[in-house]
Amino acid sequence: MQSPLLQHYGQTQIRDRMSTHGYKMAKVMMAPGQDLMARAGSMVAYEGLIDFNPNPPQMGQMARSWATGEGVPLMVATGQGELYLADYGKDVVVLQLAGEALSVNGKNILAFDASLQWGIERVKGVSMLSGMGMFNVVLRGHGWVALTSKGTPVVLDTREAPTFVDTDALVAFTEGLSVQPRRTARLGGLFGRGSGEAFQLGFSGQGFVMVQPSEDERPNFSARG
Amino acid sequence: MSQAFTRGQKSPLSALTAGTDLYVGIQLVSPGLTWDISCFGLDAADKLSDDSYFIFFNQPKSPEGAIQKLGEQSGDTDSFRVTLDQVPDKIHKLSFCAAIEGSGSASQIQSGYLRLVAGGQEVLRYSFTGADFGTERAIIITDLYRKGVWRVGAVGQGFAGGLADLIRSYGGEVDDEPAAPPAAPPSFAPPQQQPSPGFAPPPQQAAPSFAPPPVPPQQHAAPAHTGFTPPPPPPPPPGYGQQPGQSFPPPQQPGHPPQQPGFPPQQPGFPQQQQPGYPPQQGFPPQQGHPQQQPGYPQAPGQFGSGLPSQAQPVQPGVMVSLQKYRETPTTGRWTQQNKKLVKVTLGPEAYARRGSMVAYQGDIEFAYKGSGGLKAFFENAATGQGLKLMTCKGQGEVFLAEDAADLHIVELQGHSLCVNANNVLAFDASLQTQVQRIESPGIPGGGMFHLVVSGQGTVVVMTKGTPLTLQCQGPTFADMNAVVAWTAGMRVSVSTQVRISREIYPGASGESVALQFMGLQGHFVVVQPYEV
Repeated sequence: MQSPLLQHYGQTQIRDRMSTHGYKMAKVMMAPGQDLMARAGSMVAYEGLIDFNPNPPQMGQMARSWATGEGVPLMVATGQGELYLADYGKDVVVLQLAGEALSVNGKNILAFDASLQWGIERVKGVSMLSGMGMFNVVLRGHGWVALTSKGTPVVLDTREAPTFVDTDALVAFTEGLSVQPRRTARLGGLFGRGSGEAFQLGFSGQGFVMVQPSEDERPNFSARG
Repeated sequence: MSQAFTRGQKSPLSALTAGTDLYVGIQLVSPGLTWDISCFGLDAADKLSDDSYFIFFNQPKSPEGAIQKLGEQSGDTDSFRVTLDQVPDKIHKLSFCAAIEGSGSASQIQSGYLRLVAGGQEVLRYSFTGADFGTERAIIITDLYRKGVWRVGAVGQGFAGGLADLIRSYGGEVDDEPAAPPAAPPSFAPPQQQPSPGFAPPPQQAAPSFAPPPVPPQQHAAPAHTGFTPPPPPPPPPGYGQQPGQSFPPPQQPGHPPQQPGFPPQQPGFPQQQQPGYPPQQGFPPQQGHPQQQPGYPQAPGQFGSGLPSQAQPVQPGVMVSLQKYRETPTTGRWTQQNKKLVKVTLGPEAYARRGSMVAYQGDIEFAYKGSGGLKAFFENAATGQGLKLMTCKGQGEVFLAEDAADLHIVELQGHSLCVNANNVLAFDASLQTQVQRIESPGIPGGGMFHLVVSGQGTVVVMTKGTPLTLQCQGPTFADMNAVVAWTAGMRVSVSTQVRISREIYPGASGESVALQFMGLQGHFVVVQPYEV
């Protein structure tokens, strides 16, 4: 049999903990003692012996956010082998934290090392805009993280200039930035004649903001004028 | 693990690395200024007793080769290689200095750093800005000095005079600024024309230009990370450009092929792996370390590999390193393609954009409802089903536009006219002339198809779902009304009655699709997307 399908799309030889398979799939090398937190339902394939536990005991801290119907449904994967993850054809961005702290929109988290320190936080300012919250997963430490982005993301340097981001397009930002909500709409914009860009989050400080080229339409947070 | 040093901080070198084969990279970001970066090899009395240990652009190498100036590379404005165990005993201090050529002052430095790389890992980074200095025209950045053992100290001191004064203060002689010291071989070629020698080549093939490789051979792979090549901040955020030595898995294959630059559409089919062509001054052989993440690797932000799993690359540690390819691309005009799905518009003049298409912006920008005049009546007409809801972007700054991860295409009209399906308009210059037209036919739901005719000098951004197809009209050309994106003005467009494709019924549609027939001469084209709205 001869086909580019066999030639180019086989398993990659990378043995790192995480890597990408194409643009839209993450490959995770699982080993005993290296548990993985992954978005529930994101597994597309695996080789080896891997268990998925959708209700891990660590999830206690998430009960609060689940109660609101928001948050990040996660599962714990344990075992040994190769695990492939994807989220509805979104682009996957794999990165390796080297002591940094990153705040990731709950909608954009795909997987991360369970050894990372993590927690759920409400993004300051968003609730002030709409009364609803935006839940971010804060990750800190040394380890691997896989994010999703609907389309190729862009990383904007907040050191260059204060950066304002549509909350629906926000993927992640580094810890330590100062976050300020901003309203660009005039009052009239709230009554059906808005520009569609009523509220943004402003970031300034030492770090970066990652933005996806799509304003996620899933009902999570919406503050359109 | 890279240590961030602050001004005045000192440390024995052994606390940072056991290696003696060091790469010293210096970056100075200061638009408009030209810097002479040099290394003074001083004796125990802090004097430049031997001119041949003044390493500068005209004398890029000490006699035994222990100190070499490598020139600009890897994101560093200048770089040196220092083999400490070959430095003669009479040299007690290596002082890395920078002096302004011409006028200017050190306070104009936007950002800068000096970093030490050993064994392919950055072990020290001392960042500074112009705020650390005053009106000085030269700065002493960092010293490597002997005090029992080799130590390193982040000096960060300004020096009032220029390079010549700096040399004189070290007891050197200056004939004519900035002439070579007497000992300098007059025939030395400037280092820019000399490709810098590869670092620690594989043992079996020793680089001829090198003194004997240090023993044990220190694998001097490329400094495997620069983090962001553009200016690092004065206090680097935790982990910026840092690298955890311990969690860094060694590469399985010594040579990961570099990622292909460029977008897949430019390389149809399954392209073979291409070496992207290292710049000649890139002294690091690609078979060592991780070429795809080497500093200076010509992978500009916004460029991506082919995405083929067979050419996948491992991910390097450090958030900024991992995200390097997603960085903002440099602005190249009013409209800049950030990636396939994102466009950046630099404001000054106003631009119109689809309402809600802003994903981020930098600067002082206001978004206003655009609905005045005749446009509104058409665009807001619910009966057309072709509502194009626009907003005005005005102010000063950069706006990033995207819509639902659609592919974006920047079209410079250059005086021509283009008809764009209202569903496929993302943004356009406010200076363009726009007109709404309608193709009427009883076969079209709503009685007609609305499209926007844009013409003039300016740019329109067209969005498509999926990779579009551009058909040259050299005979009758037909396109599904639901898939047509844009076409050149001036063609005869009619609704075809012969080609009728039966489609599955979806809500709101008649169940019949309408094909448009385009008749045009050479040079006319129709753009179709692989997605029927």
